[in-house]
Amino acid sequence: MHTNHRNKGRKTAVIVLLLLAVAALFFLCLFVGSSNMSFAECLRALCRTSDNANSIRIIWNIRIPRVLAAVIAGAGLSISGLIMQTTLNNAMASPSTLGVSNAAVFGANLSIIAFAGGFLDTGNHLANYSAGANPYATSLMAFIFSTLSILLILGLCRIRAFSPDVVVLSGIAMGSVWTAGTTLLQFYATDVGLSAAVIWNFGDLGRATYRTDLIMFGVLLLGATFFSLMSWHYNALLSGDAAAKTMGINVERLRLISLLLASMITAVCVSFLGVIGFVGVICPHITKKLLGQDHRYTIPASILSGSLLLLMADTFSRSLGGGSALPVGAVTTLLGAPFFVAIIFSERRDAHASHR
Amino acid sequence: MLHIDNLSFGYGLRTVPVLRGINITLSPGEIGILLGKNGSGKTTLFKNILGLCTPRGGTMRFDNRDLTKLSKRERAGIIAYVPQDIQFGALSVFDSVLMGRVSHFGLRAGREDYALVEEILKDMQLEAYAYKNVSHLSGGERQKVAVARALAQEPKLLIFDEPTGSLDIANEQLILEEARRLARKKHIAILCSLHDLNQALSFGDHFFFLKNGTIKYSGGKEQFTQEIIQDVFGIRVRIIKYENETIILGES
Repeated sequence: MHTNHRNKGRKTAVIVLLLLAVAALFFLCLFVGSSNMSFAECLRALCRTSDNANSIRIIWNIRIPRVLAAVIAGAGLSISGLIMQTTLNNAMASPSTLGVSNAAVFGANLSIIAFAGGFLDTGNHLANYSAGANPYATSLMAFIFSTLSILLILGLCRIRAFSPDVVVLSGIAMGSVWTAGTTLLQFYATDVGLSAAVIWNFGDLGRATYRTDLIMFGVLLLGATFFSLMSWHYNALLSGDAAAKTMGINVERLRLISLLLASMITAVCVSFLGVIGFVGVICPHITKKLLGQDHRYTIPASILSGSLLLLMADTFSRSLGGGSALPVGAVTTLLGAPFFVAIIFSERRDAHASHR
Repeated sequence: MLHIDNLSFGYGLRTVPVLRGINITLSPGEIGILLGKNGSGKTTLFKNILGLCTPRGGTMRFDNRDLTKLSKRERAGIIAYVPQDIQFGALSVFDSVLMGRVSHFGLRAGREDYALVEEILKDMQLEAYAYKNVSHLSGGERQKVAVARALAQEPKLLIFDEPTGSLDIANEQLILEEARRLARKKHIAILCSLHDLNQALSFGDHFFFLKNGTIKYSGGKEQFTQEIIQDVFGIRVRIIKYENETIILGES
């Protein structure tokens, strides 16, 4: 019994530590930005006691929604990645496995290149193309296409009872189709349209508003609640489909709902913020490395580690960009990839087999 | 009591059936052994009983309940499975065994689930391993954990697909004796496939010889004759009686 308590205590401690780190970084991030506000001024603005209305606006209208977006999207992408990896029994699965990101990029590019620049006469001016000018139209298109992609693949895979390999392969195929479509769109785009489209593709947390945060949070809450409730069912799935079925798990239904929810979380995040890669691959792996594969622990820990990584990446991108933030998607990968490789190579041989 | 009557199965509708006219009856505490060459249909028969395949015809009943009409969860409360290739996630032995309770508790394990798992671990002398990571255990230990997990389901029927495939001779003995002890003690019927005829003889009560998807011979130990073994496996053997035991020797 001793070791058990120590084990569970250690796992809980890791989760509490992560929670504290996210909370600490959340507040720290509010004080970092391109406006060079002093710490005291930030604090006053945060309490709404500052005399400078601009400071209050910066904190409450720009920084808080942005930092919230980092917490929510990081959590969403990470938990989606974990669930994808478990339900597809594939360590390389990611939130974008069903072609979600590629479809979102296609939708957004279609909106920017074909509609904003072609059918609607908005003038050939970069400002009109910026995702901020009409964020909802572009996000909506991105979301429609990613949902379409998800439903198409899940519909197809029903025929084969959601065999994991079939899902992964059709996801790759579908993703390539959207990427090819995007390439064609960009080929016919004007130079201004093209640059606007490419800028959209860079993930940017600066696009977040309270409303987009709320929508992302709603979808995340729905997914995370379902995933947490199903922790034991995911654990059973680690024993393979046949064994899980004989333990009474409705594997096909679990896989369908999980893939749908995980993809929807990703679709919403990517549609609002652009592509933020790799969080969904790195964070679940780091979490599994730290805590093993028990979903009662890896689900909350993945949520927190995702938030933490995206918060860190966003802080970096804002401090290094010199006024304009660097694309956070690139920063997550630059920060995460070396860490990821280090973890893979530090794995003991015997542990290797267990991290399927 | 397991009652399989005239079961048939085939992949697709118009194909030649893989199983035909299967009849099996097994009472609580009895051990039935399936024998047959590779590809004779042993695993397919298990899949049908476990609900991983849908039979083409015939009936499967357990205590007069139609198995094909049960949900996965209801079926898991009756039948447990120890697969040939055992897979575990990186969980502790305790949690891996507790997982067998999932069809009973659904979303969250309760106090009685923990108590039962502790009892099973104690009974199977796995206590010392309880909080080790399963993926770090040896083949024999993992096999024991798989049996413990199946027992945590509190099944009335235990399906064993070649339980001794990856074990050394000491662990083979251990697992089979353990299984027999538990079958008698908890009145669980066991249906098991084995390759080793001598092992089958010492472990089983009833024997079902599968050939080309049908049970060609069935009965007690008297079924182990030179003719039957030659017919089923295509090999010549010598059967030797030694101190009340029957030993089957291959003839070269």
